[in-house]
Amino acid sequence: MRVTEASSRESTQQATATETKLQDVWRVVVLNDPVNLMSYVVMVFKKVFGFDETKARQHMLEVHEQGRSVVWSGLREQAEAYVFTLHQWHLNAVLESDKS
Amino acid sequence: MKRIEVKLNLDMVAPLLDVMKAAGDDLGHLLAIGLTVPGDDADLKDGWESELLAGQSGDIRQLIGMFDRDFFATGSIAFDPTNCEPILRACSALRLRLREAYLKQVGDESLESNEVPLAEMPEEQRKAYAAYIFLATLQELLVHHLDPNVPED
Repeated sequence: MRVTEASSRESTQQATATETKLQDVWRVVVLNDPVNLMSYVVMVFKKVFGFDETKARQHMLEVHEQGRSVVWSGLREQAEAYVFTLHQWHLNAVLESDKS
Repeated sequence: MKRIEVKLNLDMVAPLLDVMKAAGDDLGHLLAIGLTVPGDDADLKDGWESELLAGQSGDIRQLIGMFDRDFFATGSIAFDPTNCEPILRACSALRLRLREAYLKQVGDESLESNEVPLAEMPEEQRKAYAAYIFLATLQELLVHHLDPNVPED
């Protein structure tokens, strides 16, 4: 009886830990590259994230001048989807945990 | 977006097609960007990479396909809502590959400022650079046609 209760407690703890991990915040980060045109990058940001002109340009300049920009943060699954889409547009994008 | 026809200088563009096709051939089996797939899942990485490659190849086929018999007869290529985005992506992919394969020695600052020692370049590298600039021009044209508010580079 006691062993079963302990197992049940461990499973619940594991499930909670997994759920917490899935709820962690992840960042989509675009890194600078020496090729893509600034106008192209602005267009991609507007298209993928729905940014207006000002916000898209701000992120583009951040990439260009600081080497990187955090363009989105949220749940991992959506973050992965965004990184994939940016890769389709040949932008250098990576996923970072908010805890890193 | 409306359909737009662009008249090109055949004598200037035709010689660039070989180097563009060669870059396109390279990209048949490798991605234009360095791949960073989140996590350690090998299956995810394989699936991610193969889907990106398929999309990349399709886009490049569309771009290269524009320079067909009609192009050599008229000197014109046409863009419309169905091909605009694939062509934009293909231009980016080919430019990334041209830089990697032919233009790295030139230096990124020189490439960005267009201050490139053309006279000192071997012919193949000169063609690659010309193609690099040509594709950028195409991209600028398309981006501004899609969104006239985007400032020029």
